[in-house]
Amino acid sequence: MKKWIAILLVAVMAIGLVACAAKTTTSSTTAAASSTTAASGTTAASSAAATTSTPAATSSAAKELTIAMLPKFKGENYFDACKVGAQEAVDEIGGITFLYDGPPQNDATNQHQVDILEGWIAQGVDVIILSPNDPDAITATLKKAQDQGIKVLTYDADANDGRDFFVNQVTADGVAAGLIKGTADKLQAKGYGPDKPANIAIVSSAETDANQNSWIASMKTLLATSDYSWLKLADNAIYYPGPAEDKNQEIAATLVGSMGEGADQYQAVIGITSMATPALGAAYEAAANKPDASKVVLTGLATPNAIKDYIKNDANPLDAGVLWNCMDLGYLAVQTGYQYATGTLAKDATTITAGRLGAKDIKDGMVILGDALVFDAANVDQFNY
Amino acid sequence: MKNTKHSKKAMPSELALSLFVIIIFAVLCLVAGDFGSVNNIMSILNRFSYILIASIGMNIIMLTGNIDVSFGGIISVMAILEAFIGKTGAPIYVFMPAAMLCGALLCTFNALLITKLHIPAIVATLATTQIYAGVLPLLVEGSIYDLPKTFTWLAFDAKVFKYVPLSVILALVILAVALLMMKYSRYFKKLYAIGNNVKSARLAGIDVDKTVIVTYAIGGLVLGVAATIIATAGQRVTTTMGAGMEMTFIAAVVVGGTSVTGGSGSILGTAFGALLLSIISPALYYLGISDTWSTAVMGAIIIIAVSVGAIKGVRRKNAGAEKEEAKA
Amino acid sequence: MKTRKFNFNIALGILFLLLFFGIGLKAPNFFKPNYLISVMLRNIMELGMIALPVTLVVITGGIDLSLGSIATLSGITGGLVYAATQSDLLAVVCAMVVGCLCGWFNSLLVTRLNIPAMVTTLATMYLFQGIARGITLGNSVYAFPAATWLGNFQIGPIPIQIIVYILFAVIFVLLLSRTYYGKYLYAIGLNRTASRFAGINTVRCENIAYIVSGIMSGFAGMIMLGRFSSMKYTAGEGMNLKVVTIIVLGGTSINGGVGTMTGTIIATMIVAVLNSGLTVLNIPIDVQTIVQGTVLLISLVAYAVIQKRNTAKGRGKTAKAGKAA
Repeated sequence: MKKWIAILLVAVMAIGLVACAAKTTTSSTTAAASSTTAASGTTAASSAAATTSTPAATSSAAKELTIAMLPKFKGENYFDACKVGAQEAVDEIGGITFLYDGPPQNDATNQHQVDILEGWIAQGVDVIILSPNDPDAITATLKKAQDQGIKVLTYDADANDGRDFFVNQVTADGVAAGLIKGTADKLQAKGYGPDKPANIAIVSSAETDANQNSWIASMKTLLATSDYSWLKLADNAIYYPGPAEDKNQEIAATLVGSMGEGADQYQAVIGITSMATPALGAAYEAAANKPDASKVVLTGLATPNAIKDYIKNDANPLDAGVLWNCMDLGYLAVQTGYQYATGTLAKDATTITAGRLGAKDIKDGMVILGDALVFDAANVDQFNY
Repeated sequence: MKNTKHSKKAMPSELALSLFVIIIFAVLCLVAGDFGSVNNIMSILNRFSYILIASIGMNIIMLTGNIDVSFGGIISVMAILEAFIGKTGAPIYVFMPAAMLCGALLCTFNALLITKLHIPAIVATLATTQIYAGVLPLLVEGSIYDLPKTFTWLAFDAKVFKYVPLSVILALVILAVALLMMKYSRYFKKLYAIGNNVKSARLAGIDVDKTVIVTYAIGGLVLGVAATIIATAGQRVTTTMGAGMEMTFIAAVVVGGTSVTGGSGSILGTAFGALLLSIISPALYYLGISDTWSTAVMGAIIIIAVSVGAIKGVRRKNAGAEKEEAKA
Repeated sequence: MKTRKFNFNIALGILFLLLFFGIGLKAPNFFKPNYLISVMLRNIMELGMIALPVTLVVITGGIDLSLGSIATLSGITGGLVYAATQSDLLAVVCAMVVGCLCGWFNSLLVTRLNIPAMVTTLATMYLFQGIARGITLGNSVYAFPAATWLGNFQIGPIPIQIIVYILFAVIFVLLLSRTYYGKYLYAIGLNRTASRFAGINTVRCENIAYIVSGIMSGFAGMIMLGRFSSMKYTAGEGMNLKVVTIIVLGGTSINGGVGTMTGTIIATMIVAVLNSGLTVLNIPIDVQTIVQGTVLLISLVAYAVIQKRNTAKGRGKTAKAGKAA
């Protein structure tokens, strides 16, 4: 008998756990989901109800929408800032159920994102906004969502197919220009130029990151022009530590250790993810034998708060960063998604009026937020993200 | 008599390993650019320090024939705990002991499952690692960032003689203590006894359960120091800081000559194993080989190291088996 | 022993039904046949398939931590071969050969060199993943037609992977319970030396177990490639622990000698329900890990309680309790 009790305990505890966890969910089963409960039973004979699960809320009369947002990975300054803006748009518009989930940083994989998306597709959300880890592998799932009538938008990084709009923060050329010009200016201030070329290195995320890759391509094009040809980027000078914190710190430490004035050293390292740039600043601080700050440059994309300490530290060569307004990006994404789902925005529109942001251009399905913004010691205190 | 024979045969394998590592190190310094530069050595030592400390903890657990695959999850828990405390500006001598205590508690829980409930170590810790690591994302969404300067003190400011990071000193101190204990303490002898044959150990009067629990607790304490080094390296702590690291620690222990089934192995071997694993990534970088091969190299090194030990072991076993048959 | 195992499987079955209906009642979306088949079952097929032969490995007292890396390497090899030769047949053959070779390599180290399986497969996990990383330079590899067919083809509403899984499941259940080979595996798990002296060719038996695991992992790798239309070297990470969780949940002892294939299959279903069910309840994906860990822990405790009870009664043989202090 004892063993049956033991097994029963297992079952009860498992159920209890599920029930407990269910209570802590952020959103309850939406109106759309409950309307299909009548149709489905435990042994649903007809699968008709299953395949056409478009929720009732697509008509513009009912503003009850469910918008689901999926970052590359959760809980990191950059994506959290986007979430703040997204939440702001949700609150402003009203009547939206906002779902947010994402993979953890050490498992920022396509599979994880697919798992989350499958759950949302089954619930029949109205809009999905995501920044995919793998632009190619995700398309199958995105198409599945579109087949069920769900509107799919990408933000921050694009997918190769299967999406209706891409909300881009800055054009790839804009990012490249901001980074390369900033680096060139600083290097020139430190004595480098056409008669004293400089080696640069770039720290990206994973090899499959679409947005980083498009920025690298733009940067290479810019480096080939006569203005910047004195900046040398070797083929193997692009590093891919992935999104994990410890790998970023490891590569940053190694790179900072190989910086200096010499021809076989790096004079500038540019981080193109919000993980890499702070890691570079931290690596400099932690370095036992620091390279001469007046001869090297560190810069890159980062949220202002993450590198504020390094910018303010005169001894640290990381004294400026490039970014855009992440909050606005999230805000714009939600606005675009909402307007598209309610029919206010047409598929082939060339402009959108996005709430407090005003009019934004749309080019070939890409909504552009604006220009890159450079922050340094002079204005870094103005930002709090 | 069997003891001295065992230790005589065991010494050469550690000697071989240490020679191997030193030779590789020397070759790299000569051949691969700036490998021998102060900065590189220091950054290798930094990585080596936390791998060594954690591997020592794993080593004593594995000597008893057990294992703990939840080390990575526990590191993540401790890192987040330290970030919570550190965010308020509390200095390291507040949050490091807190982490050590937390580690000891979590590891003791593991040990209780193993000793009192007789669940095999690998499976028990497999379950607990999912629980420990799984709780974190519920408390913290992704990471705690923008930590104050007091938090990163250990990595940024704490340098002895201006160059040597304090973390390295800590690692060396712990190593020294472990080596001394290995030679002189009764506690270590108990570990070997348990690892070799639990039943005889019990019959010989050793309180196996208590020793195993204490071992796990010490492992947790020591892991707290390693976690502190890992967490304070930057101003951000993620919920997955230590994920997957237990495999590296187990690898270091195994490469160092400790048997997975317990009963043999030494701290010194583990130290060299840890050193070997820490230099792989920087070595590849300075050799100009793309970092994409680092995982394959790590796997190959572990296989080679363990195969060498195993081939010796097979010969020894065959020799021993013949003796047994002769007796019978 | 047979009666006890049978009862444990019934208990697992009851747990499965409770979870299934429990989740379904809370979120009726769960019961949509479309969701059940194409999400709940489909997602678990690769893990489920790999869990079948690895159960054999675990019963012999071994383990295979490299299965995720084998799947990844095989899938990636197939993709690269197709990209180079445009031949479906060649790609499939190469993928399976890679899986077979990896399994054979594992087996070589474990049976010939007597390196403990945990250490071997830990090292080969890194090695195989590292090779996959190196030959792709970190980039993704794209699916080829045969893989896509495997991953997506449906007979009616049922994806072909599910049908294949059912086939394999039946084969493995029979293999373990009805053949001499199965009995030998239990013997090896309980006492390898005694088995050898009793005349069992332990090396060959274990070889077969590891090689079949390798081949199955390769097969699963191709399905994964087809399902996701591209694959990266990190694709197999975390799979090993999930498979071990399934196997142990199914009542197989990690020390070897005890366990059934049926248990593994029911455990696969339980994990499938937990994974997909929690997603449909909108529970954050992280909670799934805790639930999985807790269910595993509780089942281990329950199992240990049963063990104790049986030992106390002095009935039959139990799993080697030596290592567990």
